[in-house]
Amino acid sequence: MKKIIFILLSLCFLFSIILIAPAIGQKEVAEGLSPETVAWLKSAALGDYASETFDEAALYEAAKTEGEVSVYSYSSRVFKFGPTFEEKYPGIKVKGFDIDSPEMVTKVLAEQNAKNYMADVIFIKDPSVVVHELLSRGLVFNYVPPDLKGLIQKDYREPLLVHHTSVDALIYNNEKLSAPPIDSLWDLTKDEWRSRFLFPDPQKMSEFVEVLAAIIENSAGMAADYKRVFGKDIVLSPGVENAGYEWILRTLNNDLVIMASTNDVSNAIGLSDQANPPVGMTAFSRLRDKGKNPNLKFDVMYNIKPVIGVGTKVVICIANQAKHPNAAKLMIHWMMGDEKGGNGYAPYYVLGNFTVRNDVTPVKGSRSMEDLNLWFADPEFVWDEGQKILEFWVANLK
Amino acid sequence: MVQGEKEDIRIKFSRLRNYIRQPHIIISLVLLLLLLFIVLIPFIKMVKDSFIWHFGDTRLSRSARPGSFTIFHWRRILASQITRNVLLRPLLNSLSTALGVSFFALIIGALLAWLLTRTDLPFRRLLATLAVLPYVIPSYIHALAWLTLFKNDRIGGAVGIFQYFFNLSPPNWLSYGYFPIVLTLSIHYFPYTFLLLSASLSSIDSRLEESGEILGATRSYILRRITFPLVIPALLSSFILTFSRALGIFGTPYFLGSPVRFFTLSTQIYSSITNRIPAAGYILALMLVAISSTVIYINQRIIGRRKGFVTIAGKGFRASLTPLGRLKYPALFLVVALLIISVLLPLVLLVWQTLTLYPGDYSLDNLSLLFWIGRGNTEFAEGEAGILRNPAIIKAAWNSIKLALTAAVLSGFIGIFIGYAVVKGRNTKLANSVEQIFFLPYLVPGIAFGALYLSLFTHRIGPIPALYGTFFLVALVCIAKNLPFTGRAGITAMLQIGNELEEASEIAGARWSTRFRRIILPLSIRGALAGFILVFITVMRELSLIILLVTPKTRTLTTMTFRYQEQGYTQFSSAISVLIVLIVVVGELISRKMGKKSII
Repeated sequence: MKKIIFILLSLCFLFSIILIAPAIGQKEVAEGLSPETVAWLKSAALGDYASETFDEAALYEAAKTEGEVSVYSYSSRVFKFGPTFEEKYPGIKVKGFDIDSPEMVTKVLAEQNAKNYMADVIFIKDPSVVVHELLSRGLVFNYVPPDLKGLIQKDYREPLLVHHTSVDALIYNNEKLSAPPIDSLWDLTKDEWRSRFLFPDPQKMSEFVEVLAAIIENSAGMAADYKRVFGKDIVLSPGVENAGYEWILRTLNNDLVIMASTNDVSNAIGLSDQANPPVGMTAFSRLRDKGKNPNLKFDVMYNIKPVIGVGTKVVICIANQAKHPNAAKLMIHWMMGDEKGGNGYAPYYVLGNFTVRNDVTPVKGSRSMEDLNLWFADPEFVWDEGQKILEFWVANLK
Repeated sequence: MVQGEKEDIRIKFSRLRNYIRQPHIIISLVLLLLLLFIVLIPFIKMVKDSFIWHFGDTRLSRSARPGSFTIFHWRRILASQITRNVLLRPLLNSLSTALGVSFFALIIGALLAWLLTRTDLPFRRLLATLAVLPYVIPSYIHALAWLTLFKNDRIGGAVGIFQYFFNLSPPNWLSYGYFPIVLTLSIHYFPYTFLLLSASLSSIDSRLEESGEILGATRSYILRRITFPLVIPALLSSFILTFSRALGIFGTPYFLGSPVRFFTLSTQIYSSITNRIPAAGYILALMLVAISSTVIYINQRIIGRRKGFVTIAGKGFRASLTPLGRLKYPALFLVVALLIISVLLPLVLLVWQTLTLYPGDYSLDNLSLLFWIGRGNTEFAEGEAGILRNPAIIKAAWNSIKLALTAAVLSGFIGIFIGYAVVKGRNTKLANSVEQIFFLPYLVPGIAFGALYLSLFTHRIGPIPALYGTFFLVALVCIAKNLPFTGRAGITAMLQIGNELEEASEIAGARWSTRFRRIILPLSIRGALAGFILVFITVMRELSLIILLVTPKTRTLTTMTFRYQEQGYTQFSSAISVLIVLIVVVGELISRKMGKKSII
């Protein structure tokens, strides 16, 4: 009996190995676009086949026959611009999905691999990954509404349309303190800020890898500011490449407090009636929370050297083989808003988010992005250096 | 000569045919095949996946070619600058947490079991029912309650109740990290030990102890040399259950550990996989499986040697109660205090928190029902509606209920088959291997089990499409992980059904399917129901197992709690947790009612 069971089991085993084997060599994506993709691009009028003019009425007619559009969104605000879209364009149902950016990439890769084309519009952070893992493989395509081309400068249209720039900046509690308590990023490495600098976890939120990357890419600026603050040239720790990495190392060694979300950071710093409030980095757009909660008292520190924060891009594109390309185009056009901000853009027409359209007046109370002292994350640099930065971060967690 | 050989083969063949035609043999073979698919193949696939480049790995190395072989990931985890913080320290933390939790849970559970079964403590029956409740509450609720109580100003923002009232900031070790993780998990897991040990203690004939007394042994000597050795097998089983559960737990260390950079293997697995470096997550999951297998193997060896006690003999049996004397009321006080701390307090704290408008302000004029029934046109929490009006949360609630019911029914059903195969083939190698192999899912810690399924079903395998993102996959993992419970329940139920019942109908000419439908199923369903309820509760409050597998469409209440907590909307996460407890309690009440009705 034992033998029989053994034979049966090993047969099953063999069978299963055979079953698994083809899954192991995940299909390499061929160079160039597949004929199916080219055919779809033609029928959807995308890529090389895109139209030069924007005919809203015709697009709406075509979209109505499609009947719906599914939007993968990195933020829950899809549930705000979705319903307003449905009001504006009756007959098209919006299916919104609130998915974190890394998960969205996994999902899109899995769906494309399985030829299970669920997504139409991809609305996502972390442009470096989108460009290199999706766009370059022909899994998503860029779409810039033709009527907006003249209103958006080139680097916000290529290689992917940027929906808005989001800024992460340093904030302080302005109830307890009448003025920002620091004036340099390097102040955060000083003993008085030990355990009192809050920073969102880059292992969870990729935009903070972008923030760190910008600091490292501009290490010359970091080194110069070190000299301004301490009056001498920076001495790098053994094995550390440049002043940017050195800043990360020193803040980590100064017991930087890792936070789960930007919301946690602004709540922690801004809460009213604190004896010794910390400072920290968070999304500039958190300023909008102040209007909602009278117990929150914080503001951005506008005079920090060398920069007050880092700008990162949020991009928008259409998935390969999307079943509702016309509705997707209409949706993207809607999300880009109009010269007054517009209903579709309304959820993003807030302090701390910056539109890419040059015809829109800034939000009330907001400075224009050019007036802010910022560095911008470069997707190419983030792609090359991002994981190295993250590993440096992880390796130096005490 | 040749003729004889042929004859021989024919006889062997017909023997084989007869052997295979027995229903329980067929069932055993089918079950083994099933097991192959739900445990073994995922395991092999995960090992393989740790040796290949994945799509996201092009970020790690320019030479990455998705799909081809590499040892890069093993080298990165085992020998690189991140080894210490990604592998070694989390490994140490996981081990010390699981051991600490096992130690305290065993002590609390054992003491409680002794007090409630072998002493004259008042209200024993009521207290014994209540003592199981901490298990019903999702484990991370204790963590959230702890934060509500002891959060200090390290992570700033709204302080805990302790600091609010006493204006004193609790030290970090009390608020976060090892100490609160071990404490809250011990409170959650002691019911395992309590249940197993109560059963064992109440089956000890007290005359064994009395004879010791007659021979002049002291109380402590009797306890040490007679009672303790008798319950060692139950204690060791409790240890296994607690240890392997605590090893794979995700929510509690995540909430309580992160603020002080206290990472465990489970939190590192999660962060590797959300960072889209799945191979790293798989390697860490393999480590987790290796640890729990080793510990359980050692444990089995010890149990194996100790197994030989038969305490229930066919003679008179009596369990006398130890009088507690003057200690009676202090003991009662302790037990009640324990139950209040582990059940009532966390729930009250959470409910209170859901009613605070601004987090951290525990004054009366800050109370509000906004997070329960608010219409969502307010400025709070990005304008999301209160949980009873929020379509996303209602959908998640349905998902949870659907998931728990599906898993409970299907794994309960398979459990009956396991019971049948094991009991009918009692003492044959095949039946024994079915029994042992079905314990396997238990050895794989929760989050690692989720990782197994993630690795297998993200891509199409032959005729099976990519299941990632489907409800079916989440249900499958819950069914598989709970088979050890329902299998055990099935075996117990089947043991109580005499063979003669089935034999009688067999003689009367009933086919097997009829026998199964008309005799075995109705008789075993009651016993299997115990497994059913347990699975329903377990799945309803499951986070570690499914956290890697849910997608926006398949979100459950537990993963919604996690999401809100992570984004800093504590009132929402607390309110959903309360909702989970309510559903579990209602579910249990209903299934108890149903259970009574369906008994023939």
